[in-house]
Amino acid sequence: MRAALGLGWRLLRAGGRKGLLGAALTALAVTVSTALLLFAVSANLAFEGRGDREAWRNPVPAQGRAVAVQSVRVDYVRDERITVVELAALEPGAPPPPGLDRFPAPGEVWLSPALAELARRLPADQLAGRFAGGRGGTVGDEALVHPGELVAVRGWAPDSPVLAGKGTDEPRGEVAPTRISDFTGEPTPDAQGYRILALIASVLMAVPLLVFGGAAARLTVARRDQRLAALRLVGATPGQVVAMTAAEAVITAFAGAVAGTLLYVLLIPPLTGIEIAGGSWFAADLWPGVPYTLAVLAAVPLLVGLSAVVGLRRVVVGPLGVAKRETPPGMRFVRVAVLLAVLAVVPTLSVGSGGGMIAVVLGLAFLSINLAGPWVVGLIGRITAGTARGPARLLAGRRLVDDPRAAWRTVSGVALTGFVAGFVVLLNPSADLLGEADASRLRLSVPAARADAVAAGARERLTAAGVRAGTEITGEGGEKVLVVALGGGRAAAPGKSGKGEKADTPVDALVDAPVDARVDAALVDRARTALDGLVPGRRATSTADDDRFGHVLIGDIGTGTIVVLTVSFLVAVVSAGITAVSSVLDRRQTYALLRLAGTPLQVLDRARRAETLIPLAVMGGGSIAVGLFCALPFAITGLDAGGLATLLACVLLGFAGVVGAGAASAPVLRSVTENPAPRPD
Amino acid sequence: MTSVVLEGYGLTKRFGPATALAGVGLAIGRGEAVAIMGPSGSGKSTLLHCLAGIMKPDEGEVRLLGQRVDTMGERERSALRRTRFGFVFQFGQLLPELPADENVALPLMLGGVSRRDAVRRAREWFGPLGLGGMEERRPGELSGGQAQRVAIARALVTRPAVVFADEPTGALDQTTGHDTMRLLVEATRGGDASLVVVTHDPQVARWCDRTVEVRDGRIMTGVGA
Repeated sequence: MRAALGLGWRLLRAGGRKGLLGAALTALAVTVSTALLLFAVSANLAFEGRGDREAWRNPVPAQGRAVAVQSVRVDYVRDERITVVELAALEPGAPPPPGLDRFPAPGEVWLSPALAELARRLPADQLAGRFAGGRGGTVGDEALVHPGELVAVRGWAPDSPVLAGKGTDEPRGEVAPTRISDFTGEPTPDAQGYRILALIASVLMAVPLLVFGGAAARLTVARRDQRLAALRLVGATPGQVVAMTAAEAVITAFAGAVAGTLLYVLLIPPLTGIEIAGGSWFAADLWPGVPYTLAVLAAVPLLVGLSAVVGLRRVVVGPLGVAKRETPPGMRFVRVAVLLAVLAVVPTLSVGSGGGMIAVVLGLAFLSINLAGPWVVGLIGRITAGTARGPARLLAGRRLVDDPRAAWRTVSGVALTGFVAGFVVLLNPSADLLGEADASRLRLSVPAARADAVAAGARERLTAAGVRAGTEITGEGGEKVLVVALGGGRAAAPGKSGKGEKADTPVDALVDAPVDARVDAALVDRARTALDGLVPGRRATSTADDDRFGHVLIGDIGTGTIVVLTVSFLVAVVSAGITAVSSVLDRRQTYALLRLAGTPLQVLDRARRAETLIPLAVMGGGSIAVGLFCALPFAITGLDAGGLATLLACVLLGFAGVVGAGAASAPVLRSVTENPAPRPD
Repeated sequence: MTSVVLEGYGLTKRFGPATALAGVGLAIGRGEAVAIMGPSGSGKSTLLHCLAGIMKPDEGEVRLLGQRVDTMGERERSALRRTRFGFVFQFGQLLPELPADENVALPLMLGGVSRRDAVRRAREWFGPLGLGGMEERRPGELSGGQAQRVAIARALVTRPAVVFADEPTGALDQTTGHDTMRLLVEATRGGDASLVVVTHDPQVARWCDRTVEVRDGRIMTGVGA
């Protein structure tokens, strides 16, 4: 075994300039794969980290003795969400919440860095006025979902009305006063939802990466199989051949994996700028940590080695199969049958299916496309060769039939990206779904008994703040809603014009005003600030605020789509480029002989293009269709203009990328055919 | 000698400090079979490559039917090789993906002949060369001698002026090698083409009309068969 490993290492080192170039291509493929795999792993860990950091704001009721009371309210400024955590200690020595070095005393306010900065920049009557009281300090990063998150923590006395009562039908993100024994909490449903989306996105990114990594491994084998077959012919045992191949592939892949890790570390700063769920990332979020990094560094070379060994099957089973270039056995239809079987499961899924289940089916669909791909490529090759009239298409068709796996390796990346594109465009809801919400009417829940007094107080506060608005009490039962309809401009101060009662303008009159001219953000924030504290523990919000999460989620799905498609395209184009160059290197003797016999370079290039673009057109289209089919159970809307544009862009980018990758390998083709004198290598 | 088809004058070729050809001159007559012999590294393959327009000599001229070859650009030389020359080599001259008949038809298709006609014309060579029934076999399914005969058919299918063969029997056993040489010479003559064979095997050279011996980049002798 030791001798075999040593020989494997010698084979790698003694591969000559073109052999080393081939190894470098494999290492490059592994580098890209590793970097993107680390990204996929980190993305999951990052969402998990966010969920954990947010958990303390989603309290679990105390089972035993409670040490504090906690409620969470949501407020808004300039279309941004502010999370306001209200706290009161029930006994001395209550533990501090995450991000604070002590439990906030009654009347103290702690602001996150971003909120503190915003409060400093905006006029006090638009934000800072809501957080009057002693500044306790700054909320630390360990309590924030993202660096720009707006969080306020306020301390109250246990008997404060802010922390009194039991909430019913709390708005999204809000928590009624809850007696807690610690700040462990649990991840919010939103955080869990994001984790599922991240898992699905990771599967969409990771499967092409694994396929790509496997293809990279087979590049090593493709270059070596002649030599290894010769070793078998002179008596090397299958074990020795396997060990040599695995050693060579693992050594190359390990170098690539280390480079990929370094590349990923360099990419972390720009990646932190990707905004999801309302904000960017801490750099630490995107660092997967030493154990995961080591696991990836170990797993990638092992997978590449395993893939290389699987690719060696023909050499090991029968060395003459490679040495004599006999007709390759046909692909079995069972490959397509597996794909059809997986697709048959898809209609049984629904939005209600578990995230893990969806990820598994998606992964299987992906892998089965990869399984069926070579079979379809072989079929396309037979049709192409059968109908070819010119030498370029004949060469392309025969090449596809001869080695459909190699041809599939070139186009698989783009074809699998087609699947991703088909899948995600149907899942991309349009913001039109939410309609145009009204930001000009603030609503405030008020106890029915105090409704009139609260309305009067609201009018008074709004007038004092110079906000022109109308008020109205609506609703039935014990809880009523004070509706404050905001109008443009500042109302005259009471007494100055004798029209201070402008604040009493009927709601309907203001509501009838054109939507777009109704209010500006500063006016809304002045009104919110004026109404703050009017009803303890309640904030004035609009229907636009209610829709804000929906807008963020839709934006995030769009961002996720772009990230996944970018990763997929990157993989696809790099994959196409590497396999194109590798294919030229592998077939350099054939190309040289064709050139020697007078074949124009253009014919060789045309053949290479046809060899790629014909299966790409078929498999790309087929993969998009499979992706669309897999998305159908989860589709929120049909394919709209935006989705069609995304698909079209993907198709164009895919073809352009593969054509570009092929063109990039043309100099290598020229180089290997420069001196077409035959060599026995 | 009959009329000259191909001739080289004062051919010199250097590879770095090494001189592979040092002012070689050689003329090939119509229908003539010439063997170029010499030990390894003597420059015989370089001479063939210069005569065939595969590489340009550093000095000297190559003419095909009076037309300068050495001054042609790569594109013209490619066209010349495709239309006027045929090649038979020791190693890997057949495309492994194509069946035998398409390997032979390929030069015709590259010249613009339709696939149907090209394959039909290619198959005409199979019977005379003893390859009947092997038209659809792939190179890996042919013996060494059969593969060389397919290569001969491919070299002759365009009715070239000159066929170049570099160690055409180097990978074959003696009996098969002789059969192959016999077929190569007969088929070349039958096609009214000239033949230039590079070999180190006197038995192979014996099939040719004359032999030239190359040593250290120079022609030592010219011997009639």
